[in-house]
Amino acid sequence: MEPSRLSRAGLLLYGILTLGFLYLPLVAVGFASVSKARYLSFPIRRYDTGWYAEAMASDTVRDLLLISLKVAGLVTVISMIVGFFGALAFARYQWRFRGLFQKLILLPIFFPQTVLGLALLMWFNALGVVPSWHTAVVAHLVWISPIATLIIAIRAYSFDPTLEEAARDMGCSTLQILREITIPLLMPGVISAGLFAFLLSWGNFPLSLFTTGADSTLPEWLYAKMVAGYSPLVPTVGVLSVVASAVLLAVALLAPTLVRLWRRNAAD
Amino acid sequence: MSEKTILQIAGLYKRFGDFTALHSIDLKVREGEFLAIVGPSGSGKTTLIRLFVGMDEPTDGTIWLRGQRIDTVPANKRPTCMVFQSLALFPHMTVGRNIEFPLKVAGVDPAQRRERALELLDLLRLPREYYAKRIHQCSGGERQRVALARALAFDPEILFFDEPLSALDFRLRKTLEKELKDLHARTGKTFVYITHSLEEAMAMSDRIAIMRAGRFEQIAPADEIYSRPVSRFVAEFMGEVNLFPVRADDDGVIRADGLALDPAVAARLGLHAGEAGTLMVRPENVAMVNRSDAGGAAPEITIGGHLRAEYNLGSRLQYEVEGPSGQRLTVETLRENRFGGAPGDAVTLGWTLDRCHVIHGD
Repeated sequence: MEPSRLSRAGLLLYGILTLGFLYLPLVAVGFASVSKARYLSFPIRRYDTGWYAEAMASDTVRDLLLISLKVAGLVTVISMIVGFFGALAFARYQWRFRGLFQKLILLPIFFPQTVLGLALLMWFNALGVVPSWHTAVVAHLVWISPIATLIIAIRAYSFDPTLEEAARDMGCSTLQILREITIPLLMPGVISAGLFAFLLSWGNFPLSLFTTGADSTLPEWLYAKMVAGYSPLVPTVGVLSVVASAVLLAVALLAPTLVRLWRRNAAD
Repeated sequence: MSEKTILQIAGLYKRFGDFTALHSIDLKVREGEFLAIVGPSGSGKTTLIRLFVGMDEPTDGTIWLRGQRIDTVPANKRPTCMVFQSLALFPHMTVGRNIEFPLKVAGVDPAQRRERALELLDLLRLPREYYAKRIHQCSGGERQRVALARALAFDPEILFFDEPLSALDFRLRKTLEKELKDLHARTGKTFVYITHSLEEAMAMSDRIAIMRAGRFEQIAPADEIYSRPVSRFVAEFMGEVNLFPVRADDDGVIRADGLALDPAVAARLGLHAGEAGTLMVRPENVAMVNRSDAGGAAPEITIGGHLRAEYNLGSRLQYEVEGPSGQRLTVETLRENRFGGAPGDAVTLGWTLDRCHVIHGD
């Protein structure tokens, strides 16, 4: 049945409102970052882009970016590797404790992150490990690698096991099967898992708060400065952080098309 | 086809927990033959082929390939190759890369690989442009050919097939059956083909092995399996058939319920005194015997009954007749020889001795 004009207009309005609800707050941060006033107030009377120049020049901001990048980068790489093999155990192979493994691996995703952070901090103390951004990597992994595993497992479920058998039949060793068949076929899943891992780590606050020790990531610093010592530098750094995520997403979305174009040119 | 044995198995057992999938299987495959292994689902034919190519290990027994023991050799070290039911074409590779795959694994250099792949495209009558096509751009029949080309690129001693045609529609399947038979003749390779379709096996193979519940019931050329089955199971598996229990008394008198059997004819059935058996006759070998005129060869064995129904099979007509003890009998005839009776008419069915076969044992 075709919806009537009225209901179609209603649905459109609903869609616009939903998107507005999701994105308007971000726009507000954008506005706050270009305000000349020291304190956040609307409407903004005088605009100024000086805070961006300051953010670029600031050593503090550079250190923050560097630490966040290091944490997110390491979490991404490790999640992709752990997630790949985890997904094979999760979805591809039949083994005795698979059912139990499937349940236990997903549990950390549903823990409240603050509790998980606290628990990890207590463990680090008990083990005599001094918290720093290194321990934050471990903390992020506890929460993020199950998500990566799940994303790759979804891909692994659609994998035809006879492909591996056929490869073995034609002379492949286990390592060759992994290289020629399993990894290429799961690669789209591994890449989206990596993307998720990076973005989740990049924006994570509760786990970082408990486990970075003296180091600080971008979200932590943003929160600290909101509580005490606010200046438009806070929304400025916030906007820069969002822009970095957006660029990464855009590159990931465009990458398949770019690779295809490049391959076609290389083939000609 | 030579008489030389290429593959031999002896005393092969396969158990999964309490379930025995294969019971002491023995088989000799001849060099260059096209052998079809046929059986209903669950008869163990897929289990057997997986043991041949090394995807499973036998619980007991031995497999020799050209006199060398291979049952302990892992799948990737065996000189055999299988065309899977799913075809197992690699979706992330082009047609060319798929065909070249076994050569790449064997370490053949890229230029030679490409040349061989193009030759195989020619052999399978696929255009050379297909080299750069993606698998998902190929039709069902083209995929079959790509899978075959890839298996031939491996250059196996024996090529195994696990029902690769079962997912195709009727016409395409018929075409590919002919192509496969033709390919077998042109390559001279040994083909072992697994199927649940007897028709498919009859159309292609030199010999047929009938499997039932993990055992071979009969291994023989198609004609022999059709006209001289060793058991009721094989007789019924090979299509429509009329079966009559027969028994020779201790004093040699043959008893067959409802069959009018002349003692002189009965003596030629080959039953020993005290032996029981089943008399088998195919529907196309049974004639409707008219009451007054008896044209053609005089029937030596007859049975009375009532016509139940006529079915049109296209090139032939099939009649269903109810026998004296209520059993269902089937007669088939060319459509020119329409009987023309009405349901309920009393009819007499007859056939000659050389057109029927006695299966010994109960």
